[in-house]
Amino acid sequence: MKMTKFFAWLAIAIGVIYFFVPLIGTFEFSLRMRRGEYSFDAYDSVFSDAAFRATFGFSMLMALLTIIFGMLLIVPTAYWVRLRVPQMRPVMEFITLMPLVIPAIVIVFGYLRLYNSSSYIPFTGSTFGTNVLLVMSYITLSLPYMYRSVDTAMRTIDVRTLTEAAEILGAKWPTILFRCIFPNVMSGVLSGAFITFAIVMGEFTMAALLNRPAFGPYLQLVGANKAYEPSALAVIAFAITWLSMGLLQLVSRFSKMAPSRA
Amino acid sequence: MSFLVLDGIKKSFGPTQVVKDFHMAIEKGEFVSFLGPSGCGKTTVLRMIAGFENPSDGTIFINGRNQSGLKTSQRNIGMVFQAYALFPNMSVFDNVAFGLKVAGMSKPDIDARVKEMLRLIGLEHLSDRYPYQMSGGQQQRVALARALAPKPQVLLLDEPLSALDAKIRVSLREEIRQIQMKLGITTVFVTHDQEEALSISDRIVVMNAGRADQIGTPSEIYNRPATRFVASFVGTLNIIDAIVADPAANTIRIGDNIITLREPIGAFVQGDTVSIALRPEAGSLSESATGDTALTGTVVSTHFLGSVVRTKVTVGGNQISFDMFNAPDKVLPQPGETVTLRFAASDLLVVKE
Repeated sequence: MKMTKFFAWLAIAIGVIYFFVPLIGTFEFSLRMRRGEYSFDAYDSVFSDAAFRATFGFSMLMALLTIIFGMLLIVPTAYWVRLRVPQMRPVMEFITLMPLVIPAIVIVFGYLRLYNSSSYIPFTGSTFGTNVLLVMSYITLSLPYMYRSVDTAMRTIDVRTLTEAAEILGAKWPTILFRCIFPNVMSGVLSGAFITFAIVMGEFTMAALLNRPAFGPYLQLVGANKAYEPSALAVIAFAITWLSMGLLQLVSRFSKMAPSRA
Repeated sequence: MSFLVLDGIKKSFGPTQVVKDFHMAIEKGEFVSFLGPSGCGKTTVLRMIAGFENPSDGTIFINGRNQSGLKTSQRNIGMVFQAYALFPNMSVFDNVAFGLKVAGMSKPDIDARVKEMLRLIGLEHLSDRYPYQMSGGQQQRVALARALAPKPQVLLLDEPLSALDAKIRVSLREEIRQIQMKLGITTVFVTHDQEEALSISDRIVVMNAGRADQIGTPSEIYNRPATRFVASFVGTLNIIDAIVADPAANTIRIGDNIITLREPIGAFVQGDTVSIALRPEAGSLSESATGDTALTGTVVSTHFLGSVVRTKVTVGGNQISFDMFNAPDKVLPQPGETVTLRFAASDLLVVKE
C-alpha cells in the first residue's frame, strides 16, 4: 500500500513538473524584458499595443455572439430532442462530435468553397458577412461542449413533466422554453459559455484563414516578430483560460447547492 | 348530460391497445378514482382527458363541449403530477401564480388569488421558499394550489401521493378530499392504492387491461365485486372452490358443509365446480357470532399482525384466511385444532370470471 501511494505521488509530481515548469519558465522569461531586473515591461508593451486591444475586443465580441446565437440554437434543439424525438439523441451526439474529428482547416476550406464571393451565398463578399461566417464557424467548433453541457443540465430536470405542467396551466412554447426550461438549465448554459469563451479567445485557424483581426492571429504575429511579448501573451492567454475554468467550477458548485428536482 | 363524459374511448400505441372501449360519465363536483395495477391504462385515460394524448377513437366532453381538437392549454384543466413538477427556478408564490400570469391577470388579482390558495393549503408562511427547500408533502400541496389557482373546471391527479411516505399519504389524501369538497370541483384521481381509492372517492373505476371492470361506490366495489379481478385486487379475498349441490335450491358443498347461498348460483348444474369469494373479516370463531352459516375445518397457522390476528383454516381442500381483532386475553387457535368458522351466507359471493 505504501509503495502504491509512493508511485501515485511520484506520478503527480512528474505531471506537475511537466505542466508547470514550462509555464514558470515562460512567466519568468516574460519578466526579463528590462535588462538586469525583473519587470512587467513586456506586459506594459502588450497592453499599450493598440492591436492587442483591438484584436482582444474583436475576439470578445465574437465569443459573446457565438455564445448567444449558439445557445439560441442549441437549447431549443436539445429540448426538442429530449422531449419529442429521444431516438434522435445518438444522431445529435454524432453530429455534435464531428467538429472534434474534422480539422478546423478542413472546415474553413469548406466554408470558403461554399460561401465565397462567387457563390450563391457570398458571405465572404463583405466584412459583415465574413464576421457572420466566423461566428458560425465558432458555433460549429463549440458544438461538442455546448450541446453536451446543456444536455447534461437537462438530465437533472424532468423536462417532460415540467413542460406538461406548464402546458396545462395555459403556457405556450416560448413561455415554456424561456420561463420554465431555460432558467433551469442555466448552469449548463453557463458552463458551455465559459468553455466556448476560452476556445474562441485562443482560436487561430478559422480567424487567420478568414482574414479576421482576432486574438489568435495576433498571438501568432507577435510570436513571430517579438521576443518577450509572446511570453507575456502566453501567460495572459493561460490566465483567461483558467479564469473561465474557475468560473465554470463556481457555476457547477452553485448549481449543486440548488438541486432542481421536478 | 353529465359534466365529464368519456364516450367509447380507445387508445393504441402502435399495435398495442392500452385502452379498450372505455365509457364513463362523471357528475359535476364528483370525486372519482381510477384504480388498477400498473399498465391497466388508468394514467393513459387521465392523459387523454388532459389532452396530452389523443384518443385513437371515442370522444371526451367537458361541460357539454367536445374536447377533440382542443390543445391542453385550452381545456382549463388543473393537474397534479406524481413527481410534483414544481418549477425549480420559481418560489412557491411564483409557482402558484404561474397560470394566473399566463392568463394575463392583473398583479393585484394575482396576489389576492395566490394568497387565497396558500391559505387553503396552510402554507402562506412559505411563499418565498423554493421547492428544494420544502418536504415532499409541502411540495405536493403547492402543486395542488398551483393547479387550483386558475379555477379549472376539472382537477386531475395522477398518483399524487405515490412519492410520499405512508403517514403523509394518509393525511394529505384527507386534505385533498376536504379541499375538493369545499371547492366542489369535479375530480379524477388515479391510484394503484386501494385504500386511497376506497377512503376518499364518491365512486371508483376499477380498471384491468384497458377496460373498466367495475364502476361503483367504494362499498359496492368492496362488498359486491363484479369480477374475479375486482374481488382479488380490492382487499384480501378467499377464493373457495365449491361443488354445486342443488342449483334449484342455491346450495353448494364445501368439504362436508352444505351451504345455501343468498344470491343465485347462475347457470351451473349439480356437481359443477363454482368459485365462491369470502372476505377474511367476514368470518368469526366466536361462539356468540351471529352468522347463519358455519364451516368446520382444521387450523393450519395463526399469524399475529398487531391489531389483527390472521388464521388459516383448511376446509374441504380449500385454505381460507380469516381475520379477528386482537384482544390481550384472547386465546389464539393452534395448528391442528378443529374450529368452526361462522359467517353470514350473504357474505358469500359467486365469482364471475
